[in-house]
Amino acid sequence: MASAKKTILGLDLNTWVFLLPALLFFAGYQLFPIVRVVWISFTDFKYLTNDPPNWVGFANYIEAVNDPLMWKSLGRAAYFTVLFLPGTIIFPLLLAVLVDRVRNAKVATVYRVILLIPAVIPSTLVFVLWKWMYNYQIGPINYFLVEIMEWFTYRNAPQWLGGTDLTLPSVAIMEIWWGLGYHSIFFLAGLAAIPKDLPEAARVDGANEWQVFWYVIRPRLQPIMMILVVLRFGTAMAVIDEYLIFGGFNRAHPTYTWTVFMYDQAFKTGLWRQGFAASIGMVGAVVMMIFVAYLVYIFRSKD
Amino acid sequence: MAASSSETNRYLKQKQNRVLRYAVLRHSVIIFFLLTILLPLTWVLMLSIKSLPDSMRGNFWPRRFDFSHYGYVFDKIETLPYNLFNSIYVTGATVLITTFCAVLAGYALVHLKPRGGPFIVAIFLSSLYFPTRVVSIITVYEIQDYLGLINSTSGLILPYITLNLAISVLIMRSIFQLVPHELIDAARIDGAGPWRTLWVVGLPLAKNGLVVVIIVNFVTAWGEYLLCATLSNDQLVRTMPVVLASAHGGMGQWAWPRIAAVYIIVVLPGIIAFTFAQRLFFKGLMEGALKT
Repeated sequence: MASAKKTILGLDLNTWVFLLPALLFFAGYQLFPIVRVVWISFTDFKYLTNDPPNWVGFANYIEAVNDPLMWKSLGRAAYFTVLFLPGTIIFPLLLAVLVDRVRNAKVATVYRVILLIPAVIPSTLVFVLWKWMYNYQIGPINYFLVEIMEWFTYRNAPQWLGGTDLTLPSVAIMEIWWGLGYHSIFFLAGLAAIPKDLPEAARVDGANEWQVFWYVIRPRLQPIMMILVVLRFGTAMAVIDEYLIFGGFNRAHPTYTWTVFMYDQAFKTGLWRQGFAASIGMVGAVVMMIFVAYLVYIFRSKD
Repeated sequence: MAASSSETNRYLKQKQNRVLRYAVLRHSVIIFFLLTILLPLTWVLMLSIKSLPDSMRGNFWPRRFDFSHYGYVFDKIETLPYNLFNSIYVTGATVLITTFCAVLAGYALVHLKPRGGPFIVAIFLSSLYFPTRVVSIITVYEIQDYLGLINSTSGLILPYITLNLAISVLIMRSIFQLVPHELIDAARIDGAGPWRTLWVVGLPLAKNGLVVVIIVNFVTAWGEYLLCATLSNDQLVRTMPVVLASAHGGMGQWAWPRIAAVYIIVVLPGIIAFTFAQRLFFKGLMEGALKT
């Protein structure tokens, strides 16, 4: 009896039961929405009308590509990515190499726990925290610059998030702070996998610490670095929550990137042109994917 | 003899000094970074116990303390208990369901060897590189509207589950790869069905990965902003972070120290829970989470 298993599409019934919950949610809230967005981007779809949407071909895409704001907003996202990406790799790498050499187990644990604290602060709470840090009036950063160092007065103190040239670098610093511990732990895991006698052997051969790092350790961390660069490139280009919280929908604001542009068109502008918004989203996503493919290609060819 | 031994002594001492100097430098750099992590949080903790006039300045140590803000926010902000409950409810349900899905799917992908397995893994993996969350928001709104779930706290759970579903399945998959096939097969030969095998043999060995999946999902759901802000506009159905993000200081209910008190209440559970689970969390990260 036991061998008479019920099968559906060549799969054991039990296997389906195991896979189904994950597949259903994934199909319903990830796969289907993306396919549907692609379809919407070729129509004049609107939530609010009862008329069936009309197929408009590439009209939305032509409008998006010809809109200077599309490229300006993509450029802002790219600029932010350039500010953010090197810092979020280099600082954690440095920290990991240093923490990895702490021999006292208790001290090392304390270091690690503190390092990971930002990673367990939920995203929005990180943004609220840094909104305070950068606050013009009550923020501790300006307090330090004005009252303690007396480099500025409250009349000319920096407006960190106020839509100036400082805004995107400020957001980048916040994001680097946020990823500091989490990325360090990534690198620490990589370092733990390197046999201890390898750097020792290099030291015995007379290599200095820098050479040990560059020739022995760095190549072995390359795979982790690759994953981090590609993943963080993706998150940096597609940042939206913090831009909505810090900048809102002012088109001249540096935080008005393609993601905010899309959201603005879909949910805020009175026209509610979801079709156009979908095409903005798709243009942004395709540009991103091209760069992701390029990054993967660069890292691949080095092996 | 005496001369040479004093020479080696001097050499050893020099080397010792160098090692010591190096260690001091190393620990100072680490501690500098740790302080940049801790100082902002301590500043907010201090803000939450400052008197109202002191909260208008950015200094660390107030001239007068005021510990009443914590009591005040629960007494006077009527919506706060609702928002707090919403957060707990949505996060709890999301963590539970996502973990359940991830354990089953991760186990099945490794030990039940389904035919389309590599294809499923490839799709999940590629979804990590696509800006799905941002682009799909247009249609997720439409789906929720169609299902009548706009302005519904429970409705948020559905899209929340998928936020980290792919990565959770992949984490559980790489954790279950560490469980030897022989062990699973032995249980099967003893007559245990796949459910019993998973529960009795598989799950205890996947404990560390489970902690990682739970923490990752907790952090995402607890702090989610975009979906909640888009899919609801009634303060009463919203979660804590969305309310906090739109609070703006002033002198009333949402004066700075009071927002800070709410902030501390919201941020602390995660940090405390993590501190207790950190051993398992690190093990889980090292074992499998980082390999995907």
